[in-house]
Amino acid sequence: MGLLSILRRLKQAPEQEVRLLLLGLDNAGKTTLLKQLAAEDTSYITPTQGFNIKSVQSSGFKLNVWDIGGQRKIRPYWKNYFENTDVLIYVIDSSDRRRFEETSLELAELLEEEKLAAVPLLIFANKQDLMTATPASELAEGLNLHTIRDRMWQVQACSAVSAEGVQDGMTWVCRNIAVRKK
Amino acid sequence: MGCFFSKKSKRKSGDKEDRTPTTTTVETTTTVETTTTSNAVPLGNSTDEAPKQYSWDKREKVDPKDYMLTGLKDVTVGRLPGKLNGQQFVIQECENCNIYVLDHSATITIDDCVNCRIVLGPVKGSVFFRDCKDIKCVVACQQFRTRDCKKMDVFLCCATQPIIESSTGMKFGCFQYFYPEMAFHFKDAGLSIFNNNWSNIHDFTPVSGENNWSLLPEASAVQDFVPVPDAESEFKSVRISNDPARSIVPLTKGGRRKDSEESCLFVFFAGEYTTANARKMIDEATAKGFVLIQTKEVSMRPEDVKRVFQNSAEDLVELITKGPVIALELNGDGVVEACKNIANEVFSGTKVFISDNKNTSSRDVDSFFNFADMQMGL
Repeated sequence: MGLLSILRRLKQAPEQEVRLLLLGLDNAGKTTLLKQLAAEDTSYITPTQGFNIKSVQSSGFKLNVWDIGGQRKIRPYWKNYFENTDVLIYVIDSSDRRRFEETSLELAELLEEEKLAAVPLLIFANKQDLMTATPASELAEGLNLHTIRDRMWQVQACSAVSAEGVQDGMTWVCRNIAVRKK
Repeated sequence: MGCFFSKKSKRKSGDKEDRTPTTTTVETTTTVETTTTSNAVPLGNSTDEAPKQYSWDKREKVDPKDYMLTGLKDVTVGRLPGKLNGQQFVIQECENCNIYVLDHSATITIDDCVNCRIVLGPVKGSVFFRDCKDIKCVVACQQFRTRDCKKMDVFLCCATQPIIESSTGMKFGCFQYFYPEMAFHFKDAGLSIFNNNWSNIHDFTPVSGENNWSLLPEASAVQDFVPVPDAESEFKSVRISNDPARSIVPLTKGGRRKDSEESCLFVFFAGEYTTANARKMIDEATAKGFVLIQTKEVSMRPEDVKRVFQNSAEDLVELITKGPVIALELNGDGVVEACKNIANEVFSGTKVFISDNKNTSSRDVDSFFNFADMQMGL
């Protein structure tokens, strides 16, 4: 689903500027996802050193998608981007079992951040195209998401390189933006 | 929120401050109905439809172990051409092994390996080394990443800027390898042999006064680092060559100091034999003692032509619409004249762009490669 079509569906949103924040470990596929949303070529993507942002505007409404680098060293900078986030999109490499614990811990910390309180959470269980990818349901179980009480959440299986599953995730995002409580 | 996956918290970064507990105000309770899969694990807490089926739900299940090498010691192991076919591959906890992955793959992670020699055929996505030590390797990939690694010698072909994090003693040289099927593997992996950023590494954790990475000596021979497979191994059927002249990826000087002030930009436009022509040009020029600094294969739009090629722009606009161009930077005293001579002798029927003279050629080179770098960034 292109960024512009997302924006058009957001005309019902109370705010005029909608902010999506893409976080996750390095190598999760955040930038590939961002490029897919922007309908751009995904065959030539470099590890993000700072952040990437895509902005689209339509009929007075603006949609900003922020993709922040996920290396361990630069995760302390994530907090600089929390403010005014309408939906948090957390991307997980479903095929990297060795780092499930690490990504769990990072997600758990994010969910305790005051500036992200009650912000709807979409988790993309990415890289489902890979043969050894853990299914979304297994990932959801391991992350103990059913204990979340303070926000709407959804796990969405996807393959950012092929775009399969991405639109379904973004449909959930659109539906839940208006639900966000300040 | 508890964490099913965690054993002990073993955070390596000490940068996080202690957080005081906060209370969040919740205005409504979440809805009761949850979406479930057949094993009753909720995928969300809103009243959506039942989860869809995707292509990965319908495909044949495989045993992950077929795509992994785990805990091996003192052996020669890997995958022959045609045995991986673009799938993911995982290497972990190996010690003193010679590992040859001689096929194209989707992505490869290498964890906790010590004292190994590794060849990784073209990887469509990322190659990620973590917690490895004393590794000598040959790698071709779209992204190259390391974390917590020590002492690695890497002969690299990487389509984007390689990155290292919390790693030391990392040394890089230009990819140098050949086996007959490898040319097809590059195509299958979507990698161009002309897009190789092997020498400009980004370090996420630089240390003041030290270098975590450096370049290998120019004359480094791959076989001194990564031997050919044992003659008795399963790999004996693969006709590997370490002759630098046969390397699938042309050898480039990259960021090393140039010997001469004079460079020349030579550009081939898309056509049936563009790759073969570019290789031939490289051979002709290097045979005459000139040095290949860098190469790029990139698409251009009409609006890029004027900015990059300046005066020669008009004729070239039509040529760039046919497909990506292949550009070479050659270096050496008299290289511009030599390029023109070679073009007349060898490529007389082919449309090419050559720098006009040695006074303007540096500008040509900068214009083109700056454009290419921008094009290939986000």
